[in-house]
Amino acid sequence: MSTPGSLDTQWFDGRSPRARPASLRIEGNELLLGTDDGQVRRYPVKAVRWPERTTHGQRQTELPDGGLVQHANAAEWDAWWRASGLHERAVVGWMQSWRATLVALAGSVAFLAAAWVWGVPWLSQALTHLVPASVEVAIGEQSLEQLDRLFLAPSRLPQARQNALRQRFASVVERAYPEGDAPAWQLSFHRSELLGANAFALPGGAIVMTDELVELLDDQPDAIVGVLAHELGHVQHRHGLDLMVRASLVSALVGVVLGDASGFLATVPATLATQSYSRDAERQADAHSALLLHRSGIPPAVMAVFFERLLEEEGVDLPDAKPGPKAPTRDDAGAKPDEEGDALPIAISSHPDHAARIRFFREWQASAP
Amino acid sequence: MAYDDFAATEWMAGSAPGALHKPRELDIRFTGSGSEYFRIWIVNLLLTLVTLTLYLPFARARRMAYFQNNTLVGGDPLGFHADPWKMFRGYLLVLVLGVGYWAVSNFMPAFAWAALLVFMVLWPALWRASLQFRLRNTSWRGVRLAFLGDLKSAYLTLLPFFLPALAFVLFLPNLPDGEEVDPEAIQRGLTIVGVVVLGFLAALPWLMVRIKRYQHGGYAFAQERAELTVGAGRFYGLFFKVLGVTLLTLLLAGVVGAVAAGAFMAFGALTLGELFGSGASRGVFAMVAMVFVAGLAYLILPLIVGPYVSSRLQNLLWGHTSSPRVQFQSTLRFGPLLRVTLVNWLLILLTLGLFWPFAKVRATRVRLEALSLQVQGDVDHWVAEAQTPGQGVLGDAAGDFFGLDMGL
Repeated sequence: MSTPGSLDTQWFDGRSPRARPASLRIEGNELLLGTDDGQVRRYPVKAVRWPERTTHGQRQTELPDGGLVQHANAAEWDAWWRASGLHERAVVGWMQSWRATLVALAGSVAFLAAAWVWGVPWLSQALTHLVPASVEVAIGEQSLEQLDRLFLAPSRLPQARQNALRQRFASVVERAYPEGDAPAWQLSFHRSELLGANAFALPGGAIVMTDELVELLDDQPDAIVGVLAHELGHVQHRHGLDLMVRASLVSALVGVVLGDASGFLATVPATLATQSYSRDAERQADAHSALLLHRSGIPPAVMAVFFERLLEEEGVDLPDAKPGPKAPTRDDAGAKPDEEGDALPIAISSHPDHAARIRFFREWQASAP
Repeated sequence: MAYDDFAATEWMAGSAPGALHKPRELDIRFTGSGSEYFRIWIVNLLLTLVTLTLYLPFARARRMAYFQNNTLVGGDPLGFHADPWKMFRGYLLVLVLGVGYWAVSNFMPAFAWAALLVFMVLWPALWRASLQFRLRNTSWRGVRLAFLGDLKSAYLTLLPFFLPALAFVLFLPNLPDGEEVDPEAIQRGLTIVGVVVLGFLAALPWLMVRIKRYQHGGYAFAQERAELTVGAGRFYGLFFKVLGVTLLTLLLAGVVGAVAAGAFMAFGALTLGELFGSGASRGVFAMVAMVFVAGLAYLILPLIVGPYVSSRLQNLLWGHTSSPRVQFQSTLRFGPLLRVTLVNWLLILLTLGLFWPFAKVRATRVRLEALSLQVQGDVDHWVAEAQTPGQGVLGDAAGDFFGLDMGL
């Protein structure tokens, strides 16, 4: 059977698991399969599903009629195949070359880095803009309902105090947005032992502040306004929605990279990435807060007091903080590490560290406008 | 139970005409190589990324082909025949469904129940279609495998898994918003949640055995149709053993953690004092310790209990899978699998994930080579049933997309 250009191999007809000897030959655009019953079957080369070249593993070739050619000696098969004038796809060659693999590795890393720095933020901005305001408000309402159920109790602050704070903040917003283009916001106060001194903004403009925070800054109404301005920054930049979309994009990306790597390690990069985006958002909101305070003639440095008191509550002494009497430490959301971050993407928990923020507000200088 | 995705395809192998041959033992060998899979993985990854995941089905087809092609049953490799373009169509459709599901559950949480309902209605059918697709596109000695489980059984098998969610929706009182919540209502709600969760846990082994019976009972090769002959009792036994191993592991981790913390305190009391400031509260320290122990448990459980479950489950399932002329055996030991798992994760960490393809090949080899089958008579004389090619693309993509483990 050893005509030049032909290969002796094993053939299965697709109905019986019995291997039969056969010989293969390429003639023009046709594959000729000669079998032990003396027949010659012809298949168009293009209709045959050829195997991809690999270092390990046998060669299995699928014929259009359901038959299968199986060749155990891969090197012999590859030599015959090439000698018959057939060409493999470029991608198969890349996978056999370490150099191409390293280039692909570098390319993947570069792609992921670019996606991380530009791709995800850009895409999430674009997607966020597609979400109509009404939907955003509905999301905010629903999350507020949920939070209400889990963490929040009705406020015990006197109504007059609430109104005064609301009024104070409204006038700051008015001064900061002389053209009246401020984002819509609604402020509500709640008591929450679980969250402690905390404030957060929800998609759609709902800002929640805890009684505990108001009590913490009772003598510093300007700092309260600063915290509210920070939350308004989140509202203005639509951070709630943005972070939600980013988190989904990041976990999709991690899913693509790790493929079927199910399990716990896959959550680590996703969590880290989300936290980093979240800190970016906090910095943006801080900048917004400083700007708003400045426009109302309040020095942004008032915010330093807030962080100093948070640190005090955590029982950490700052070199430049007043060594006041220690408040009994209670579980304070502002003090906790990032575990709260998932439930409350914009709560103070996933913020940059306090000392850095104190420095930011102290050293803030009005730049351009 | 983290069986590899391609293990779902685990072949049936043959049987023989009623001849009086001695049973023949077919061993399983895996000849894939970590370094080659690494190259395949990297190139696939780049192509998937630059095509914004559109290349995923092609990458997946290549991966499956590589793994099956390197799985030798009695010396003959398994074939993988799925058409990647068909998988591509299925992928697009599932992408649309998945993004819809994501959008609804994120942007319209109030309608999440509707998404869940749609999911419930579709999922069993997709699951069955995925099994059909996978087996139909797997061959041994040129003959395609088949999955013969019927649609009704797929629903009956899977729907109980949705019952807890349904029970919550139906029985949980809707708490009034904003107002003070009646403590009695909370009590009632908690009781319902507790009862449902406990009931579900108690029924879980029974539900699992039904799934596995459906799955293994659907596998077919030529005229042979497999059957899983294992009772729910064995599953309950395994369940309690796993529970015991889990508790033991946690206990050990706790003891080790406590000893380490004690030593740390004894040696570094001063440093600790400085670390937390003079006013350091015990609360802070307790919290750090708790986070540490929880993290340890989170790390240790999958690393130790995971291999335990998967070795015992594989042996239980495949040891009881047989057809008239085929009997599977599985002798996967916990020790070797544990060692491979620990080394794998350690190296994955040290290489920032680059060891992943090597790890996958190593784990696959340990698992597959523990399997073997005994065949009565001569396989050569078997004849394949008529094939009906063509359907079930969507199911395959769904299985991959939603990450449901279709392995065992």
